[in-house]
Amino acid sequence: MTEEDEAAFDEFLAARSTALLRTATLVCGASPHDAEDLVQGALEKVYRHWSRIRHDNPESYARRIVVNAAISLSRRRKVIREITFARLPETPVDGPDMELRDALLVELRRLPARMRAVLVLRYWEDLSETETAALMGCSAGTVKSQAARGLARIRERMGTLEGALG
Amino acid sequence: MSLEQELSEAMRGHVAGVRASSLMGTAIRRRHRARRLRFRVAGAALATAAVAGAVPAYLALNAGPPPAAGGPAAPAGGEARAGVVEQVKVPDVGKKSVAEARAALAGVGLTVTVGNGAPGGSSPLPEPDDDDLVVEQIPAAGQAVPKGSAVELFAVARPAATSSPEAGPEKVSMPQDLGDLGDGREFGGVEFTYLPGGLVWGEWSVKNGFGVASYSTSWKKPDLPAGHYSVQAVVYRGDAAVAVTERMKGYRGQGAEPIKVGGRTAYLVNAGEAVGTIEESGTPTLVWAVGKGLAVEVMMSPDYAGELGGEAPAELRKIAEGVVPAK
Repeated sequence: MTEEDEAAFDEFLAARSTALLRTATLVCGASPHDAEDLVQGALEKVYRHWSRIRHDNPESYARRIVVNAAISLSRRRKVIREITFARLPETPVDGPDMELRDALLVELRRLPARMRAVLVLRYWEDLSETETAALMGCSAGTVKSQAARGLARIRERMGTLEGALG
Repeated sequence: MSLEQELSEAMRGHVAGVRASSLMGTAIRRRHRARRLRFRVAGAALATAAVAGAVPAYLALNAGPPPAAGGPAAPAGGEARAGVVEQVKVPDVGKKSVAEARAALAGVGLTVTVGNGAPGGSSPLPEPDDDDLVVEQIPAAGQAVPKGSAVELFAVARPAATSSPEAGPEKVSMPQDLGDLGDGREFGGVEFTYLPGGLVWGEWSVKNGFGVASYSTSWKKPDLPAGHYSVQAVVYRGDAAVAVTERMKGYRGQGAEPIKVGGRTAYLVNAGEAVGTIEESGTPTLVWAVGKGLAVEVMMSPDYAGELGGEAPAELRKIAEGVVPAK
């Protein structure tokens, strides 16, 4: 690594690390602390290959590593995660919207890891179906059907809560 | 607002407060230095006199029995064949400990020495722990390379050893609803008299996490980090037990064949990530209604089931058969 490589890596972190940490938090459903540990591990991999990949879309490389690590952590901890999240965090309720959003997040966490990742990438990261597919190593059709099934599952479970969702 | 928009807003709100620490770069570099190491696998062609001199002692310490292909030739024998470039297959050392990887590399007849950092790098790398886990190797396993090629290994400290001193984050976050359960075998009014050998209590428990009333804890292999499990059990009572019988009907509806545990109908399925579904790659799960208002579910982590191989279903059954009312 040259000094210029190091500086570029720092710039990359300044620009992207918070977004990657947020993605990891959403995909793995872990505490911010665990997510930070996961992102550090993933970015160490990026750093390892930095001089080779820095000119070749390091952002999507980093995102792919982070998302894969988050999915695999989420799978490994699956059973315990279900329990931990069965207990709603005691968040202050600022009106019905807050309640609805908490419930949505709970339902999001109950989805299979890859399905959740698709929803996070599509609706939080705002990636296209094609971009999501490339990142997850599947076809755009799979992304489309996973997103549709994920939304349908959430809608079904939320159905009893309010009729507010279109 | 559409569900997509609501979901997007909910996600935004959930992580709005999450920020990467400004020390992230420092932490990553520290990790990198601590975890990265290079072994140079130096054959006769590359070995300097100094390295060659150091090698036999190293091999004496680390090498297993010499490989059949290499014959009983002394490691230094490579020097005698310096003119011949012999091809060797790179052994798969992924997921092995550093000590095992060293032995395996030495085992193909190559001499090994611990090298220094990246080309041009000047700071010496820390010695890896023998116990560290090899996570990547270049060239990949199975490739034929001439004796004398360099094999680069990346190793990481095992999870238990990596937790930073200021935190035990996972441990702190585990619920302890039922207090100290000792060996964890007795809770929710039942006792698990059989567990596969070598498992210890997972040191957490939760009440009503799976409906009211339910009790759950897990056991794990001692080397698993906190928060991971090998076997988990849930005891359901009352309404929660009724919900389980519904879930069992669902399994039957998906084509699962009922089995018997202690004369009671049970289902042994690979439970999917979504509750109540069966997936081929799911979590091996045995669930049965022990009696009126009492059901028990025993799950085995896919990793652990993989280690047990064909024994996994039998072990699950043994655990289930061993469940008795608590004294």
